[in-house]
Amino acid sequence: MSLGKLLERIIQLIPVLLGVSLIVFVMMALTPGDPVQIMVGEQSITPEQEAELRRNLGLDRPMVERFFIFLAHAVQFDFGNSFYHGRPVADVIAERLPATIELSLVALIVALATAIPLGVVAAIRKNSVLDRMATVGSLLGVSLPGFWFGILLIMLFAVHMQVLPVSGRIGYDNEVAAVTGFLLIDTLLAGDIGAFGDALRHLLLPAITLGLPMTAILMRVTRSSMLEVMRQDYVTFAEAKGLPRRRVLYRHALKNALIPTVSVAAIETGSLLGGNMIVETVFGWPGLGRLVVESIFLRNYPLIQAAVLLYAVTYVLLNFLADILYTVLNPRVKL
Amino acid sequence: MKALPRLLMATALAACPAVVPAAVGAADLVVGFTLDADTLDPANHRKRETETIIRNMYDGLLTRDANMLVVPEIAESMTQVSATEYDFKIRPGIKFHDGSDLTAEDVKFTLDRVVMDNGMGEGVTSPRQGLMGPVASVTVTAPDTVRITLKEPWPILPAMLPNQQIVSKAWVEKMGNEGVATAENGTGPFRLVEWRKGDAVIMERFDDYYGGAADIPPVGKACVDRVIFKIIPESASRVAALLAGEVHIINELPTFSIAQVEANEGTQVMTVNGTRSFFIAMNMEGEQFDDPKVRQAAAMAIDKDLIIDKILAGNAAPIDGILSPDAFGASELPKVGFDPEKAKQLLAEAGFPDGIDVTMDTEAAFKDTAEAIASMLTKAGIRTTVAVGEGAQLSDKWRTKGAPKTGDMYFTSWGNGSLDPFDIFTPTHRTNDRGNSAGYSNPKLDALLDAAAVELDVEKRRGMYRDAEMMINADQPYIYLWVPQDIYGVSKKVTGWKPSADSRINLHDACLN
Repeated sequence: MSLGKLLERIIQLIPVLLGVSLIVFVMMALTPGDPVQIMVGEQSITPEQEAELRRNLGLDRPMVERFFIFLAHAVQFDFGNSFYHGRPVADVIAERLPATIELSLVALIVALATAIPLGVVAAIRKNSVLDRMATVGSLLGVSLPGFWFGILLIMLFAVHMQVLPVSGRIGYDNEVAAVTGFLLIDTLLAGDIGAFGDALRHLLLPAITLGLPMTAILMRVTRSSMLEVMRQDYVTFAEAKGLPRRRVLYRHALKNALIPTVSVAAIETGSLLGGNMIVETVFGWPGLGRLVVESIFLRNYPLIQAAVLLYAVTYVLLNFLADILYTVLNPRVKL
Repeated sequence: MKALPRLLMATALAACPAVVPAAVGAADLVVGFTLDADTLDPANHRKRETETIIRNMYDGLLTRDANMLVVPEIAESMTQVSATEYDFKIRPGIKFHDGSDLTAEDVKFTLDRVVMDNGMGEGVTSPRQGLMGPVASVTVTAPDTVRITLKEPWPILPAMLPNQQIVSKAWVEKMGNEGVATAENGTGPFRLVEWRKGDAVIMERFDDYYGGAADIPPVGKACVDRVIFKIIPESASRVAALLAGEVHIINELPTFSIAQVEANEGTQVMTVNGTRSFFIAMNMEGEQFDDPKVRQAAAMAIDKDLIIDKILAGNAAPIDGILSPDAFGASELPKVGFDPEKAKQLLAEAGFPDGIDVTMDTEAAFKDTAEAIASMLTKAGIRTTVAVGEGAQLSDKWRTKGAPKTGDMYFTSWGNGSLDPFDIFTPTHRTNDRGNSAGYSNPKLDALLDAAAVELDVEKRRGMYRDAEMMINADQPYIYLWVPQDIYGVSKKVTGWKPSADSRINLHDACLN
């Protein structure tokens, strides 16, 4: 991977971001629903007061002008003030982003840690009871609505067994100085093992819920690619040489079988961001997904615009990462 | 669940480093609440939920007691000097959380910040300006007295003042708007410890509290050490948190969870009459509902009592006009009655012997109820299809302020937090007003509503709204349905608290056993 390629990819980001901005802007403008009317709701207001509010929000200008004002500010990383928070959108998003990233990463780890061993075992013991169970399980994993599964986990572990909390990121008795914004790291930095455990307990159910569909997909990918690799000549040859089966499987077969798993995982990580909106609502997780959904209903244009741009950048970068990983794992492929 | 797997699971989880149980401190009262505050700035919030949180840290000039009567809080007394002038004597000895004394200047500053154009400075006008009606000026007439002068008589000023929370002039000027949005310096019973945005608002008792409204005993410091508003937007999770003992009070308990909360040892259900009237607008500009017989037929086709009983689990009061039974000016009105056969007959008389086909718009949250209504209408010959839309989009379609409407019926509601007819009757029934989704126009009613809005004689005003209710009861621009109750799930450990009709959760008097 040369520096030139990296630069090229970064330059390619610019039209993508411009396009995304324009699409979101036009979609927002075409969607019925006036932010001023929503804000005023049922309160009495004179036409003058309404005009003043519209001017305050910058909505009195024509749409084209608003778009260029947005662009001019956005290149300086200024996304304006949230209609509802009375503060810059960038600040509001920055407060919520670490929670979303932390949850997504832990969900990814949970998914990888479950999917790979299950997929490998299912492949090695093809058509066994275990394989069948794993296949049915993965079908369920993809099909179960996260919303329903999350509530089920809450009822079981929080209400009946009372071993895990229902919602939130950490108990309110634990005060953690924010350094990175990731509670698992911040609690360790503070040397507070109790708070670390508490944060972990809060993370468990949402991470499992969020990671479930991904676990199912990755398990199936791992299983089928493992099966394919095991049919390859070099594996047969290694076995013919008399190498122990364990060594053949884990040293020779698994390494190649994981290539598709890793690249699918990198791409699917982007979809974790989407799934977050539901999981964050069910578990009262103070992340970005919930904030964006609320903002859409309220037509909080500046916040939606900035958040969608952030999602777009993340998605593009993850795809890029998947490409890089692919070339690293499989030197036959070049970018 | 079998004992062994349960034990194994518990052991496995206990192996997590130093498990801290989510146990609640002895005097920490936790509220499982639907929405986080958007801002802590009393002049810059737009949502009821934000106000509920802020109101535990900030007090107002006036407040409401459990029966929704307006009583003085920071004000010691209120005197109406003339039709357009009100004097407020400020109670001595009130301290802000930063230790400074509250003065009449702070009150003036607070109200100016809301009322004036560019009142918040930095080119910003408060979005709460409309809540203060025709206020012309606020002046300090004596060291302890503030006078509010109105441009025209506005009898509901006292009913609207509990919505304003008093800030410290010096502090706001020091902090700026952005600072005020995330910090707090009120005179209320609790002060902010930490705001974990999207997660929890943690407050502790303010020990120098002046005690709160003299008319709402007990007067004094708050009972609990800390209050935590824990944000749990999903109702099933909120119920779970209550059942698990993680929270003590939850708002917006869904009707289908009532039995569960009641059956659970240690929790109970509490209800209070709400202030939101539900109704169905019939587009009077259309070719079917312009005929009063068709509107009457639609009203007769719906068995309100059955829906209240089966879908709303009995938690609503039926209405025959726009006003809640608890509102000022509400009275007993003629009932339409459930009579599908008569409805069919009326349709035939109106020239629709084969019935009509209509669509009823509503939001997703009310789909079940709207579908039950649609099936009743269909049985009576008004073949109704329910179309679910999003709130903002439907509001654009129906609340057109006089511009032409498309659509047949709209199942919707209007809130009346002040319980004064002014902010529900006028917007929904006056010609071309903001919430007049039926497109109703009755010049006599318009004149009556305009006169009632500025009538200062209380009894005369009450009579005017009674007359107005009789007019709309006869014209039926809407099918008036019900006012639902607000439903809360509450731990039996909580004492000294009951739900309030304005949906606020004031925790000053709440204790934990």
